[in-house]
Formats: sequence, C-alpha cells, structure tokens
Amino acid sequence: MDMLLIIAFLIFLAGLGWRLFTWFGKGFNGHDTAVSTGRRIGSALTAVGATISSGRLLKLVRSLFVDVLFQRRLLAKNSWRWAAHGLLFIGFIGLLLMHGLGYSVSTFFFSNYESTLQPFLGLREFFGVLVVIGVGLAIYRRLTDRPKRVRSYASDWLALSLVGGIIITGFLFQSSQIASHAEFQEMVDEWAGLDPDDPESVALETYWAAEQGLVSARVTKPFDPALVEEGAAVSENYCTECHAPASGAPVSFTLAKLVGPIAAALGDGPATSLLGTLHLLFCFSLLAWLPFSKMFHVIAAPVSLLINGVAGFKNPAPDAATTLNRQMIGLSACTHCGACSERCSSLTFYESFANDFILPSEKVQYLQRIASGKNLDHDTTKRLQKGLYICTSCDRCSEVCPSGINLRELFTHARYYLLSKNVPETSILSHFSFPLSLLRTFGTQHLHALKTIEQKFKTAFAKLSELGSITMNAPAEVGANNYLACYSCQRCTNICPVVRGYDNPQETLDLLPHQIIFSLGIGNKDLAMGARMLWSCSTCYLCQEHCPNNVALTDIFYHLKNGALDKLEAGGTA
Amino acid sequence: MKLAFFQGCNIPIRIEQYAVSATAVLRTFGIELETIDDFTCCGYPVRNVDETAYLAPSVRNIALAEKRGIDIMTICNCCFGSLQKARHAMAGDPHLGETVNELLAKDSLTYHGTGSVKHLLTVLHDEVGTPAIAAKLSHRYTELKVAVLHGCHLLRPREVTRFDDSFVPRITGELVQLTGAANLDWPGALECCGAALAGINEDLSRSLLLEKVQGARVAGAEFIVPVCAYCYLQLDSVQATEKGDPLPVLLYPQLLGLCLGLSPEVLGIGLNSSIADHHISLLESRLGPPTTEKKSRKKARATAAA
Repeated sequence: MDMLLIIAFLIFLAGLGWRLFTWFGKGFNGHDTAVSTGRRIGSALTAVGATISSGRLLKLVRSLFVDVLFQRRLLAKNSWRWAAHGLLFIGFIGLLLMHGLGYSVSTFFFSNYESTLQPFLGLREFFGVLVVIGVGLAIYRRLTDRPKRVRSYASDWLALSLVGGIIITGFLFQSSQIASHAEFQEMVDEWAGLDPDDPESVALETYWAAEQGLVSARVTKPFDPALVEEGAAVSENYCTECHAPASGAPVSFTLAKLVGPIAAALGDGPATSLLGTLHLLFCFSLLAWLPFSKMFHVIAAPVSLLINGVAGFKNPAPDAATTLNRQMIGLSACTHCGACSERCSSLTFYESFANDFILPSEKVQYLQRIASGKNLDHDTTKRLQKGLYICTSCDRCSEVCPSGINLRELFTHARYYLLSKNVPETSILSHFSFPLSLLRTFGTQHLHALKTIEQKFKTAFAKLSELGSITMNAPAEVGANNYLACYSCQRCTNICPVVRGYDNPQETLDLLPHQIIFSLGIGNKDLAMGARMLWSCSTCYLCQEHCPNNVALTDIFYHLKNGALDKLEAGGTA
Repeated sequence: MKLAFFQGCNIPIRIEQYAVSATAVLRTFGIELETIDDFTCCGYPVRNVDETAYLAPSVRNIALAEKRGIDIMTICNCCFGSLQKARHAMAGDPHLGETVNELLAKDSLTYHGTGSVKHLLTVLHDEVGTPAIAAKLSHRYTELKVAVLHGCHLLRPREVTRFDDSFVPRITGELVQLTGAANLDWPGALECCGAALAGINEDLSRSLLLEKVQGARVAGAEFIVPVCAYCYLQLDSVQATEKGDPLPVLLYPQLLGLCLGLSPEVLGIGLNSSIADHHISLLESRLGPPTTEKKSRKKARATAAA
C-alpha cells in the first residue's frame, strides 16, 4: 500500500510539474511576438512579489476569503450549486486535513488525537455526510438541472465517482470494522491482553455485540443483561480511553447492521481489509488523476480567483507574458460546470449552426486539449475557429465564471491564434468583427485574415472584367423579391453614402447597387455575389427606402452575402 | 408600467451608462424595467452570414418576454431593428415560424406574436407623452445646440421598424426640443455611422464616421446625440483614436436627465470617454428654469439656427 501511495504521489508530482510547465510554457498567443518561458516565469514572480510587497496584500486576503473560500461568484450565480460546492469543499477538506493527514495535521493541533476518539470519530462521519450530500446534489444537477446543451463527459462522471467512491468505501470500511469479529479479537488481544476464553473477554464481547454493533458467532441474542453490564465495565477499563463507543459514528454504526452480517458471511477479516484497500485505492486514484483532470481546479481555481481578485476581474493583463500565464492558469481552472454556456449570448446561434464550439464551456474543453499538445486536424480547426468567431464579445461568460477565468481575453487570443494558421474564416465578414475592431489590439492579424478571405473570393467569383461576354439568362432567384420592378432609375446608387465616398466607385466596388440588381435581372447571380459592393454596404437601407418601386435592395444584398459565404464554405462550388 | 429591458450585448459591458441613465429617467415616470437573464444576442451580428440564424434569437427573446407577459424595450437600434424584423418575418413567413418554434421548443418556449417591441424614445414619446415629461422638468437648457444621429436600423426599413416617418422623423425632434436644446437640422442626421463595416472594411467605416462628425461640427453642434449603441461606440470610442479634441457625445437620457434634476453622476455622463469635466460644467451652466417665455424660446431658436 505504501508503495502504491508513493507511486500515486509521484504521478501527482509529475502531473503538477507538467501543469506548471503548461502554465508558463504554453498558450494561445494571438500576436506574432513569441514570449519565452523564462520571461513568463519572471513576470509571474514579479507579479507575486509586487502583490506581497505592496498594499495589495490586503486585497489578496480579502479575495482569499470572499472569492476563494466563500465562493461569492458561485453564490451570485446559483445558490444550489453554491451549496453543493460548499458541502463538498468543507466535507472533503475537513476529511483530508483531519483524517487523511490525521497523524500530521490533527496531532499538531490536538496532542491527544486518535481517530477512534470523539470528537474526531463523529466529525469524520459529519464531514463524510457533507460530501455525500454534495455529491448527491451534483449528480442530481447533472441529471436534471444541468445547463442546457452542455454535455457531460466521461471525465465529469469519473470525478464525481472518485469523490463519491472515496466516501462510500470509507463508510463501508468503517462499518465493517465496527462489525468485524476479527478486528475485535485483534484489539482485545493488543489493548486488553485478554485471553479469548477469559470470562472478562466473554463479557466484553457480549457488551460490544449487544451495544456496539459487533457481529459475533460466539455471543448471540438474547444477550444476558448481567453479562452486558459486566462487559461495559470491562470496556470502561480497557477500551474507553482510546476508543469511543462505535455508536458515536452513527452512519457507520447503522450501516454496520447491514454490512456486518454480509461481511461475516464472506469472512469479516478479508472483507474488512478489502474495503480498506478499496478506500485507499480510490484515494490514490484521485490523487494521481487530479493534475490531469478538471479536479486540478482545486489548485488552479484559487490561483485564478486570487489573480483576478487582486488585479481586477475586468482589467486586461499588463503585458503579453502575463496574458499567456493567466490564460493557461484560467484554462486549467475550468470545472466544466457550464455556467458560461448557460449565459452565453450566442446560445441560439449554437442551435442554428449546430457547432458545439459556439458554447464557451465546450470551447474551453478543446482549447485545454490543444494547450496540452493535441494536434488539430483541418476540420476541427474550422469548426473551432467558427465557434470562436460566432461570439458577440459580450463578456457575460467571463462575468459568471465561478473560477474567475477571463474567457473573453482567452477567446480573443485563441481566435487570432487560429486565424494565423491561414484557414479562411467567412464569419469574419460579419458584425462579430465590430467589437474586435473596437479593441484595436489585433489590427494586423485581422487584416491578414480578411486578406485570406478576399483571396478566396477572387478564386470563387469572376469579375465583370474577366467575363468574355455577358449572357442573358432567366432572372436569378433571390428569395421573395420584387426586384423585377426595377426600371434602372439609379436612385439607389445616387443616394448610397458608400458610392458617394469614392471618386471612382466602380473600381473599388465592382458593381454599383443598380448594377447588382441588373446582374440579377440577366440571371448572373454569381457576378452579383462576387461584387465588393456587398461587403462595402453599410446596411443603412437608404437605397431600399428611396426606391420608387420598393425594391428591397438591402435585404437582397443580405441574401446575396449569405449565398456568397455559403458558396465559399462549400469550397466555391455550390 | 413594466417593460422587459433588452440591453443587447454592447450596452451592459461597453455603455453601462446608457442603461443606467435610461432606467433613472424612466423611473421618474414610474416605468419599471425588468432584466431577463435568459435574453441572448438579438441576432444582428450574424446577419451577413445566415438569415435564419439572424432571426431565430430575436424570436426567442420575444417569446421569453411574452412568457412573462410584458413588452420589450430596447435602447440599441440594431437590437430594435432585429426584434422588429423578427416580428415582421414571423408574421409573413409560416415556414420560418415552424423552423423557429421547433428550435424554441427545446427551452419550452413558443412564439405567439402577441408581445410588442418598443424603443426608449417611443416609450418616452408615446407612453409617457411629451406633456407629462414637460410637467416633470426641473430645468430646461437656455441654449444648447445638439445634432441627433438617428441611426439606420431605427428608421429603416419603415414597414419593418414602424418607428416614425423615416424621411422626416418627428419623435427625436420633439423630445430634444422638450429639453430646450436646439435640434439641429444637419445632413448626416439620418445616415450611417459606419459601424456595420467595422472590422470588415475599416477605412470605409472610419470615413463614414468622420463624415458624420464633420457634418455635425459644420452645423454648429456642441454635442452629438446618437440614438443607437453602435453609433455611440463609433462616436465615443473610435472618434477618440482620432487626433484633436473629439466632438463630445451625449446620450438622450443623459440630455433629458439633467433637466429632470438627475445628477451627472447618476446619469454616468462622465463615463462617456469624449466628455471632459468642462463639458459637464458647460451643460450645467446652460440649465435654466423649466418654463421659458415664448419670446425668448424663439430667440434661442433663432440663435441656434444662426
């Protein structure tokens, strides 16, 4: 067992090392400039130093209590989840410190610590019950009240299973110990030094069987009250000093009535040690798995919350190194709780585009995998890129994230990081680009991505000048439209504020508004779809409003833009 | 009266003062605004990409308000335009209704088309009414020249937005005159701020914006008053990256709020990046008594027009 513990701990340490390496070595850098790991560690140390040596220490302490321990952000989001988390947290930490590390932590504070003495015996049960209720709430939530559209992965269930498993095996182990005759015999031998046939020993066994849940083949019901009383006195004499009555552990004591007979039938010695081994295996598995899973949030989320608590949740990072560090710490702090996706402004877009990556919680899962070295195939890159782009930059995800991850900053960087791989993204031609343009942080990268799309347009659509001759065909279909009423008065072109802005508009715009309608009239929809006029249209609706024949020009332009992007997405062949 | 406050994506994070000042002004008239956490984006940003994906969110948002039995009020023109477009499209296209309602069923929502969509300015002009506003004024500007930038998707297409006469809007003019300020007649008033082209065609977006700023300046505007959130961001944030002093930008509820006795702090005027302290002092110095002699008002108008 010790060997297993050492192995588990070594795996944990290796995982921790790997996490630290990704914290300071990986990241999605939307900018071209590389940042060395050395500089990133340096910047992290400087930030820590500056916090400790300045008046911000108070902020740190405040954040530790309010954000980390009290989980203010979670409470604001959902009181049920807050309760579940609180129960799990208090219960698990309580057990870890008092019981798991009992002989180092508890003995430090209480020199008389014995796991079999009160209040420790009762407290252990209490903490265990807290965790069980917490796990129960979490499972219930995942099954019923789970954020709509957010998937539960195997890892989400594994996390709950391991935590729940530790506690359940713990209770079972304890109850089988209570009932175990072999355990009783061993203790009598060790602490009382009584021979099994000694009358005192018989009395003691009768008392423990009658009152303390022991399952004994030798003494059975009905118990002799006199013998029980005598046994109580013997117990007082030999046991009570370091073993409180088993009834002080009410859950295990009750369970013992059920577990005891089964364990006795199977052989209580081996059954007890099997449960003990299982309990330890669960603990070791969680320890070894922790750094590689979402459970790493127990370390990363407090760090993420403290950083944001001190630096401000809304303030951007001061430099590139800090941005990347915070990004990676943030990524590793995600618990996949789905709070972000529940509040996502793009929720309905997810339904329309059927792209998981539109939901922030799902983007994070994938970005985590990329950050840990997973290679991206072309299709996934495209879907992830689209998911990253179909985002209104409303910041609601960052605002609700209980782990305090600055998702907006992460997504913006990831977006330009992927765009730099030169996979054209048609959604860049949407108004999702507005807040990005407002940011003015990625000007060059944005222009570069626009150029990639422009190039795609050039190969997909022929310009008027490239057409040898113009053929007349049946008028093009552009949805419910009335453009056939157009009598080429050019009012649309004359009122257009975009056309007005150019000395030689046709050179820049390819086709003017009335010419677009004309191309449709002669059945050349492709010519219209390829015209740069469409992407220079300010959608002000002046043309449509002023058209004497009520041609819905702007709406037709939207229709053509949709069609052009569909064609590009389909590889220019649709 | 209670309305579902549809703030959209930009206002809560980038123009909080628009929401705060609108709420404060409406509270003066006993109108309560309810925020609905489940509201999503109106759909506008995706319109270039896919028309159905553009309409679906607005239908869903209206359905959310319908479920609570209250009407929606917006302060962003593009949200307003999208919501109105969704109602218009749902009324005219049964196929769309089928597609979208199927999508809404996942959230146990149904679109009935019973809820209406209002703009802050319509609420003030039609629901509260100009006489009721006038009665509550504690001050009026003695002299102030403002250029209102209506924004496109509030006015057009008229059969969809149903806001006002799209060629000669009255609502904005009447609301501005109520405060005593002169509502300038200027060439850019009904035109585009360039926001729709930002990030797609930066140069064009910028030149459309600067054309508006220049137009308002030439007309003698002391403040420019955009109605739309996008226009505001263009004017307040993008203008700031230009050289020289920006033309200060004021939101209508801020302009009106000062006349209702609300403080510049409550109205968040200082949060507008184009507004400096001296602009606030200027506004306050121009506040006079709530009623003006007919004669002097004429005089003020004459000066404004000059």
